[in-house]
Amino acid sequence: MRNKIYLGLLLIAFIFQGSILHAEAKEEFDYKSPEFKAVAQQFACTCGCGQDHYECDPNTCQLTKDFKADLVGMMNKGWDKDKIRQYYVNIYGEEILTAPEKNGFSLTAWVLPFVALGTAGGGLFFVIRKWVKRKGTEEPVMENQTTEEEVEGEILSSIIDEERKKYL
Amino acid sequence: MYLFANAAIYIGFAVAIYSLLVITLGISTKNQKLINSGKGGTIALLVCTSLAMLSMFYLLATSQFQFEYVKDYTSSELPIIYKLTALWAGNAGSLLLWTFFLTLYTVMIVFSRKLKGNPMVPYISAILMANAVFFFFILGFVAKPFVLLDKVPLEGKGLNPMLQNPGMIIHPVTLYLGYVGLAIPFAFAMAALIMKNVDDFWIKMTRRWTIIAWLFLSLGNIFGGQWAYVELGWGGYWAWDPVENASFMPWLTATAFLHSVMIQERKNMLKIWNICLIIVSYALTLFGTFLVRSGVLTSVHAFANSNLGLYFLIFMAIAVIGALYVLMSRYNLLKRSAGEFQSFVSKESSFLVNNLLLVGAAFAVFWGTIFPLVSEAVRGTKVTVGLPFFNKVEAPILLSMMFVMAVCPLLAWQRSSVKNLRKNFLIPAILAVIAMVLMVVLGIQKAWAVIGYGVITLLFITHFLEFYRGVMARRKMTKEKPLTALYRLMIRNRRRYGGYIVHLGIAFITMGIIGSQNYDVETMKTVPLGGSLEINNYRLNYERLDQKREGINDIVYADVTVFKNGKRLGTFQPEKVFYGNWEQPSSEVAIISSMKEDLYIVLSAWEDDGKATFVVKVNPMMNWLWMGSFMIVIGALFAVWNGKYGNVTPRYTGVRKEVA
Repeated sequence: MRNKIYLGLLLIAFIFQGSILHAEAKEEFDYKSPEFKAVAQQFACTCGCGQDHYECDPNTCQLTKDFKADLVGMMNKGWDKDKIRQYYVNIYGEEILTAPEKNGFSLTAWVLPFVALGTAGGGLFFVIRKWVKRKGTEEPVMENQTTEEEVEGEILSSIIDEERKKYL
Repeated sequence: MYLFANAAIYIGFAVAIYSLLVITLGISTKNQKLINSGKGGTIALLVCTSLAMLSMFYLLATSQFQFEYVKDYTSSELPIIYKLTALWAGNAGSLLLWTFFLTLYTVMIVFSRKLKGNPMVPYISAILMANAVFFFFILGFVAKPFVLLDKVPLEGKGLNPMLQNPGMIIHPVTLYLGYVGLAIPFAFAMAALIMKNVDDFWIKMTRRWTIIAWLFLSLGNIFGGQWAYVELGWGGYWAWDPVENASFMPWLTATAFLHSVMIQERKNMLKIWNICLIIVSYALTLFGTFLVRSGVLTSVHAFANSNLGLYFLIFMAIAVIGALYVLMSRYNLLKRSAGEFQSFVSKESSFLVNNLLLVGAAFAVFWGTIFPLVSEAVRGTKVTVGLPFFNKVEAPILLSMMFVMAVCPLLAWQRSSVKNLRKNFLIPAILAVIAMVLMVVLGIQKAWAVIGYGVITLLFITHFLEFYRGVMARRKMTKEKPLTALYRLMIRNRRRYGGYIVHLGIAFITMGIIGSQNYDVETMKTVPLGGSLEINNYRLNYERLDQKREGINDIVYADVTVFKNGKRLGTFQPEKVFYGNWEQPSSEVAIISSMKEDLYIVLSAWEDDGKATFVVKVNPMMNWLWMGSFMIVIGALFAVWNGKYGNVTPRYTGVRKEVA
């Protein structure tokens, strides 16, 4: 009896599993989902479109169609985007990525703009300090001019200008 | 026509050389007659380029396929507007357009009423003529627009369908007007240096030119983005492609220049920096052209790869080395700065930080653009530097820029005291923080969005206060009605308030960018006939698939009825167009636009049983982007408008010469 129950359960499980698989096979994968975007956007399509594998149209480019299918396969295996990236970098090298890696020489691509900004910012700080100091040693600081006074000054001069134009 | 058109080019080349030589000779021998002859040459040049342009328009309009350019870029069934605008679809034609603008600008400068009798004019003319010689050389010997074919083809290749869009009619023209426009302040700066004039005359004289060049550059970029959005079926508007970067870099440096010249005007400082900025901006326009035409970098912009880029690189190198030589030789004169800073916290300092960030942003774009070449040279690996890199690197820099833009209006010139700062910033800062908290509460929780919108809220408040205080101050003195006071306040200081309108436009654009980059939703689904798909609160019913023929093109289209929250918005037809004379089909997208968001529908593919695949995207706040662009135009035009007030021609106090 027990064996029969086990056999029945096994049969039900088998049928049930089959229906799940069937449903999965029918379910269309959304190539525009955020999960797929995170993975596919990392890779440059080499068909000449200049786009990444997320943007490139699978209906006009066989290359991206196959690539996308491979990516989905890896995602279904549970690979995360970093593991998938590493997989392709190992095969094709860094050239396949849409952005340089953040290590080795490629790190300079990411770091240099900020190093340059920091250095220039530091330089600017010292230059302004020098200018402020120079002012400080020459004469005492003038009375502060508030924004309102400044605007009023401008308005006054424009009214004078207006009057001047009327009579001169 | 062949002889006539080519004669216009070669005579133009000869006249450009003649004018350059005769003006240079006139300057060195102080002979006004020679100078006048050279000035006359500029008119002759304009006539030559106009005739060449008219010839090309005629050949394109009448489909004279015996000409290589006409055959390459048009076909007989092309609508007349696109036949004509094919003039700037290819290398040779677009350079002809560039040369035309250059000669037009040169004549406007040489015969400017404001510059009559000014000794700088011959120098400026000579510098612009040197540019003209280069461009005529290119047109005459490298990218010839009027080449006859051995055999006359029956039909032309046609114009790339992607370029058959109103955006593409305007985009290149505005971009070239911007590029050429930057040559004018560059020529003035060089002329001033050569003549040892180190005052700000050249800056004041070219203020309008620079703003107009900047406006055209902005428009060029915006129209390019708008075209990409409606035509490419990709749902985006900026891809950080090398060619886009090439036009964005001079925009950034020109923006820095527009701000830093105010320090020179007010404080007689930053003279060397301003000259460096205009040299860099001008050089970047040439560098961009080098990138576009040389094929050294992979780009979606399909200009034929040729050695043309190399010529631009050589010309750029000569121009930069020459300019730096002139700069260094006048270094001692320039470094005698009269002004000084009173405080770290002042409007002057904020302008310097603004320059630092803008030039830093330009450097980051430059570095990212050339990094594939650097990497190849160093390691032999040509890496791709694309969208993820630029988004990550540029976002913090440009957001910091927005912050500086937000606080700058409330900082006083000279010095802002702590009391001053507290008074000016306490309320705006509190309101901005409240706005950020509200955003988080209401569900906007992505860090970039919250910080970005917070900074923009601060910007709106500080700019509002700037207008409000101005109106109040004016009313206190004149007792005018608020609107009258606002109007008069603005027209009496066009540059300042025009600038603020531009700032607001930039804020709107930034809001659009933040919204569309952070909260876009996309799906790709295959739907059976009669089926539907859902995205956010939209439902799309796929009702019909059919095809029609328009001219030589076959169009497959789908009828899609769109519902939002159950309410019918209408039936729309995304299309796929198959061209009779072009291999690649293109997507005509259906866009349902509102202030909140765009619904972007692309018909991607279909099957025999009627199933169709759609890519559908919801892009939030896209209209804010276009609205901001419109405000930029309004602000820039307001700033340069030749109004009644403050329209004083700057007085020339520089070195006097016997020739002018």
